[in-house]
Amino acid sequence: MPFTFTMTPADVELLMPEILMTGLLSVILFLDFLFPRIEKTTLAWLSIAGMGGIFVLLADYFIEDRHGTLFREMYIVDPMAIFFKAFILGTTILVFLASMDYLKKVPVFRGEYYFLGLLAALGMMLMASVNDLLSMFITLEFSTFSFYILVAYLRDDAQSNEAGLKYFILGVFAAGLLAFGISLLYGETGSILFTDFAKMHAHLTPGLIIGFLLIFVALGFKVGAVPFHAWVPDIYQGAPTPVTAFLSIAPKAATFAILLRIFMATVGDIKGDWVWLVVGISAISMTYGNIVAIAQKNIKRLLAYSGIAQIGNVLIGLAAASKMGGDSVLFYFLTYLFANVGAFAVVIIFSNLTNSDALEDYDGLSRRSPLLAFALLIFFLSLAGVPPLAGFIGKLYVFAAAMNEGLVALVVIGGINIVISMYYYLVVIKRVYINMPKENTPIPVSFPMRLVLFTTVGGVLFLGIYPKAFIEISVAATNLFGRMI
Amino acid sequence: MNENMGHILTVLIFLPLAGAIVLAFFPGNDAGVRRIALGLTAATFLFSIPLLWGFDVSTHEMQFVERVPWIPSFHIEYAVGVDGISLLFVLLTTLLAPICVLASWISVTARVKEFMIALLVMEAAMIGVFVSLDFVLFYVFWEAMLIPMYLIIGVWGGPNRIYAAIKFFLYTLAGSLLLLVAILVLYFAGGRTFDILHLMGQPYPATVQFWIFWAFFLAFAIKVPMFPFHTWLPDAHVEAPTAGSVILASILLKMGGYGFLRFCLPMVPQASRSFTKFILVLSVIAILYGAYMALAQTDLKKLIAYSSVSHMGFVTLGIFVLNAQGIEGALLQMVNHGITTGALFLLVGMIYDRTHSRQITDYGGIARPMPRYGAMLVIFALSSLGLPGMNSFAGEFLVLLGTFMTHAGLAVLATLGVILAAVYLLWMVQRILFGPITTSDNARLTDLGMREMAILVPLVLLVFGIGFYPDPLLSLMHASVDHLLAQVNAAAPLQLSEVWVRP
Repeated sequence: MPFTFTMTPADVELLMPEILMTGLLSVILFLDFLFPRIEKTTLAWLSIAGMGGIFVLLADYFIEDRHGTLFREMYIVDPMAIFFKAFILGTTILVFLASMDYLKKVPVFRGEYYFLGLLAALGMMLMASVNDLLSMFITLEFSTFSFYILVAYLRDDAQSNEAGLKYFILGVFAAGLLAFGISLLYGETGSILFTDFAKMHAHLTPGLIIGFLLIFVALGFKVGAVPFHAWVPDIYQGAPTPVTAFLSIAPKAATFAILLRIFMATVGDIKGDWVWLVVGISAISMTYGNIVAIAQKNIKRLLAYSGIAQIGNVLIGLAAASKMGGDSVLFYFLTYLFANVGAFAVVIIFSNLTNSDALEDYDGLSRRSPLLAFALLIFFLSLAGVPPLAGFIGKLYVFAAAMNEGLVALVVIGGINIVISMYYYLVVIKRVYINMPKENTPIPVSFPMRLVLFTTVGGVLFLGIYPKAFIEISVAATNLFGRMI
Repeated sequence: MNENMGHILTVLIFLPLAGAIVLAFFPGNDAGVRRIALGLTAATFLFSIPLLWGFDVSTHEMQFVERVPWIPSFHIEYAVGVDGISLLFVLLTTLLAPICVLASWISVTARVKEFMIALLVMEAAMIGVFVSLDFVLFYVFWEAMLIPMYLIIGVWGGPNRIYAAIKFFLYTLAGSLLLLVAILVLYFAGGRTFDILHLMGQPYPATVQFWIFWAFFLAFAIKVPMFPFHTWLPDAHVEAPTAGSVILASILLKMGGYGFLRFCLPMVPQASRSFTKFILVLSVIAILYGAYMALAQTDLKKLIAYSSVSHMGFVTLGIFVLNAQGIEGALLQMVNHGITTGALFLLVGMIYDRTHSRQITDYGGIARPMPRYGAMLVIFALSSLGLPGMNSFAGEFLVLLGTFMTHAGLAVLATLGVILAAVYLLWMVQRILFGPITTSDNARLTDLGMREMAILVPLVLLVFGIGFYPDPLLSLMHASVDHLLAQVNAAAPLQLSEVWVRP
């Protein structure tokens, strides 16, 4: 078959957010090269403004309900893809705001940081539109590559270097598994398009099963679900904290866009064959993450294990394998975004002053900065799922979706996990509010950081108290979701 | 009827909440904070009084109802209303809130603003629990109480406060998460609604009823607390500051009984009826065991905490004998326990403010330097042991009457609890108030002042008022309790064999 590449103006329009994003990151890179003495925070504000513009464009696409496929169906734009693209842009904006102060500690290459961040964001935006195995592989590696560099950005810091190397080795290993899985699927079916798989209603052969399992393992690695989670704590701890914040939410969301497409749209009609697998991974991730989190003495590691548990919660929605399950995953990510980025913002502010991530240094935080203490309280309670905060509605949503499919046992396990997680969150809250501080220096909060804190606290409260609008967005996002079960 | 008071319940919930937010940004000193908190809680109390005038005693329907869609895609509403079962608890909450502020006037000196904010948030959430007509809304308020209570115990409590606070939190949370699962099961089994009234009286399958009953039972039994789930209570009481103990004893414990009446009985009546024996036995064990433990305590707060276990045993006993006398007695007993035990904790707090000891052995003969205190302690101790003419007598008598009609043997055993109560309370009074004064410090104790008398006198009036003439309170309940009994007694007990048959 001769290869012809054609792009109609309509195609260009569908691809416009990514094209603009590419333009934006090129501008940032050139500005940094051409004017070496430019204020790096100017670059950050420029990137934020640019992403804000693209965000508005995406919102417009969402409202107008743009959809279509490109490149022989390899690339799909639908409301769910747009939702995740906007989600990733929002995360990137918050992370950039949170990075400005932190980067003052980095001696060189501060400009490239923003370029790499934009590159990662672009990769993840592309991931949200994946509709075949090859573009899945390429976009996944594309976004991960920027992260390899970002994780090791503190080049004088041994932990950061170690984290970068670990992430690289394990990431490449996962990529190998992914490629192997793809080759098996192609060998069995002769196609790489998700759409084709869905039409085939294929009989499960050993090759197909192994292929799907390999892909599932690779994607499980990306989201950090047990038992593919081993990289998470070390890399969270070693990476620069804003990168950890980025890593803890954006790639996971983008990977879930792919997981939703594969599990629900592609192999949805044989869900009886795979639901038990997701249920098992979900239950293990929640339980393992929460139990191990209890023993942590470093707040970044604590958040890493709590993140593993949160992914277990999101997987409940996937295990429901229904339209409602898909909605609940999207909504849960929204609640997780605000609470998690917010919690990391507190960690960044705290470590900027104290250079410490040790939990014991959080003693008496409420006396040093009532704002930080209150924000951390809100974020942790939301992560634990205490009403009336965002996390409660998120958990209610995934639980309801699972209950609707009769997964009562999984919901009960989820409930028990809330109690376990509450324990370690309470222990931190106890340090913050009840223990006496070792030193009394107040903690200053800069303007960009204030912006992050107010946005995230506001988001957590708003999603908890008046979630109506965002539930409707989540529901609308999966509406056009092709062959959703 | 009550058109002009349409939003009264919303005002009651959000006035303290708004006050808490305002207080967070209030720049003034501690004295100002205390006055604002007192003003807010007093205003909430005044706003709640019209509920009593506007309440129509002739119907079991919910009154002062407000319904606003909250999360339409799940059919979750902001829906509030009161009936004869919840009305008294709302009033009890609003009455005790200003008393708690007054009780913390001098005993809380550190971080006063945060304390008052926690109290106000507590008040809003407690009122919310009693008036919610939507299960999710109920759950939101139910859980929202935990954090301020955790902080009240954890920040302003005694030496072992962290242990007590976390134990309290995790026990209650464990119970309430099963409640959440039950709520979701009911949502799908009951036709996709969280409307509490709608979920009542539906023909749920036997298996569903069975499991929901146990989820409800655990959630509410931990809150009451019933034997053997009571172990968090003495710890929490001993470590909590006075206001925390009062809230715990007077209102939080009542939520367990309220939960049984509002959810367990009307929603899963069949399962409830088939397990009444089990709960009645547990109740009698709680009555006797709590009283027996109270006999052995040397710490005043622990003694009252165990007496609470015993008194709350009467409540669950009355609820599950499933007749009008029993349930009305249980409701009255809850109100009375709120007044009397709250007052006893206040009295312990007052003496603790002076001597910083709660050990009974540190006292003796303090009726001489503190005659007013002596009189108050005697009044509330007699009230607690159920002396005729005082409030608790009416409630306990009704409960025992109701029990006697159905389970005479259990009633006899429960009566032993009343006798034991007389023993441990009178013995405590004797050891504290009478006999020789043991230390010279105790001889110089100052008697109760104006503020302290202002806290106690309204409660004394209620003790005698309800004791001599409980009829107005009972008449508030009649219609709702009769309706509840009609709902429950229409259902045949669940046969366990039905539960295990796969549908």
